[in-house]
Amino acid sequence: MDLIASKVNRLRGHREEIHTAEHGSVDATMWALRDVSLDVPQGAGLGIIGRNGAGKTTLLKLVSRVTWPTQGSVRIGGHVVSLIELGAGFHHELTGRENVYLGAGLFGLTRRETDRCFDAIVDFADVAPLIDTPMKRYSSGLYARLGFAVAIFSRPDIVLVDEVLAVGDAPFRRRAIEALRGLIAEGKTVLFISHDLWNVRRLCTDILWLDKGQVRAYGPAAQITEQYMNEVNLAALGDGDAALQTQRTGTGEVRYVSVELLDAGGNPAGLIEADDSLIVRATYRADASIQRAVFQIAIVDVDTGVVITTASSAGDGPTGVAAAGAIECRFTHLALRPRQYVLRLSITDARQILPYDVLMAGPRFAVTASGGAGGLSGTEEDGVVSLPYQFFHRAGADGLQTVNRA
Amino acid sequence: MIHALSDRAERISPAAYLELLVNLTKREVMGRYSQSFFGIGWAIAQPIAAMAVFTVVFSRLGKLPSDGAPYPLFAYTGLMFWFFFSNSVSSGTGSLVTYRDIVTKTYFPREILPLAQVCSRLIDFAAAAGLFALLMVYYGVGVNAWSLMVLLCFGQLILFTVGVTLFTSALNVFYRDVNPVIQIALQLWLYITPVAYPMSAVPERLRPFYVLNPLTAIVEGARSGILFGRPPDWQLAGVSLSMTVALVVVAFFTFKRMDKYFADVI
Repeated sequence: MDLIASKVNRLRGHREEIHTAEHGSVDATMWALRDVSLDVPQGAGLGIIGRNGAGKTTLLKLVSRVTWPTQGSVRIGGHVVSLIELGAGFHHELTGRENVYLGAGLFGLTRRETDRCFDAIVDFADVAPLIDTPMKRYSSGLYARLGFAVAIFSRPDIVLVDEVLAVGDAPFRRRAIEALRGLIAEGKTVLFISHDLWNVRRLCTDILWLDKGQVRAYGPAAQITEQYMNEVNLAALGDGDAALQTQRTGTGEVRYVSVELLDAGGNPAGLIEADDSLIVRATYRADASIQRAVFQIAIVDVDTGVVITTASSAGDGPTGVAAAGAIECRFTHLALRPRQYVLRLSITDARQILPYDVLMAGPRFAVTASGGAGGLSGTEEDGVVSLPYQFFHRAGADGLQTVNRA
Repeated sequence: MIHALSDRAERISPAAYLELLVNLTKREVMGRYSQSFFGIGWAIAQPIAAMAVFTVVFSRLGKLPSDGAPYPLFAYTGLMFWFFFSNSVSSGTGSLVTYRDIVTKTYFPREILPLAQVCSRLIDFAAAAGLFALLMVYYGVGVNAWSLMVLLCFGQLILFTVGVTLFTSALNVFYRDVNPVIQIALQLWLYITPVAYPMSAVPERLRPFYVLNPLTAIVEGARSGILFGRPPDWQLAGVSLSMTVALVVVAFFTFKRMDKYFADVI
């Protein structure tokens, strides 16, 4: 029975005394984690999210026993393998083969045990032709691949993954995620730190949201990502429009005052199911009266770029603008792939040349797969938009021509 | 402070950790001599060079005695032991910091790192000892039953080296000053240990201080056995052995007390 029951109360950093002229010495103890109590059942995929410095890595270090809690306790039922850094124990002068044994030894495997899974490791990392070459001749991607392979083949019960999938190319990342999902399916426990919410959603059943060393929320993945996204959006919009101001250009005669994302029911939402409706509602204030203004809203994919731009001139947009008002843009059928998107909003003159207001990084939202609780369908498809399509296949040499004619 | 960490389902066996020690030792040795033309030959170069210098400076110019043994062989015996000790401590002290990547990222008994440094110097010692055997034949020095004392002395040297290294490596995690201090101390330590000269050449009033240095009995005992076929000075050996055992025990427990903070402080 594998159960991690961790009760990390008040883990603190180094005690430092700050000396000031007025107060003498002040205790400036920083607690990396405090009052963090949770149970992770066997076979769980737990995503750990939160901003930088929230205590995510510290939590993993406690579970991996690299560091000890100042107060509280951590109970671990099983063999822990931590992928806090891939290939951490490798020596660049040694060959890949020697390093596999060295790395596996660090994860607690004997030579005989390593012999047994050696081929599987090399296969997974896909480094067979280089296995007897010193590691210093490996590219950093290959290095990471071999490190990952050694870790997951060392028969762990509990796997700790800390943002390591950021290295390596896309196919490797996908295989890595698949391998981790395989481990979870086998009843292993995976603790996964990532800033990529999308990867967290793909892998994890539950999410722990840490904030300044404390548990902000802990629960089912879908629910917590929704909360987290909402807060990220709120943070971007709120706070005296601080975020609205940062990447803002334009002459300023007309300015957006607020931007809201709503789902089909008119409720604020940060997560939209694919093929559902998305409503963007924005308010503006004009300092001058403008004869004819055009409002533009673009959906931008964080990785690949602009997906679609819309403009009020094409629809039922306002023509003359004075004082204040609101606009609304409805995407009735959001045919987007599950990814993260950001809105770019602008207001221009009639010829769409002179910008009054440009909001480069507006609110963000994520699209989840339609049907089901936002989980991932078995086969993963890349891309940004969903277009309806049909596949045809006819066997045989003349089949091709039939298809071409069809 | 509460430290309640259970190992109840940890499957890692001592055998796996032994394996890790062997692998890290191998990594250390291979890393040290890879892409070098002479390879392990450098392990012999160091005591030979020192032997040559000592022979010229201390024997020819300084006229230091060697209790009747050929001076080069006399010096080499001590130097072989000395370099095992000094190289182990020298690289072992910084070992935890050098390997901070794995210290901060994976769990394993931390003493494996300084121990791997000591073990890697065993390989160097084996090479140096091979040359020693040739020198014995060359100078025609015979052996008898007391010669086996050299093995016991070497055993004690390993123990003492482990004790010192555990202690300095752990301390060096908290205070990096330890490393430079140790490097300087080792240079002085060589001259207050009877390596270049015999104990018999030490003035009577200084001898009590020499007794406090466990290396004195180790080097003297080894030489009296292998070079002269005589029993060691039992009183000296007894004091030295008890100090060595006490040091190892204290060093080990100190190390284990400190090692839970390594990852935080390093």
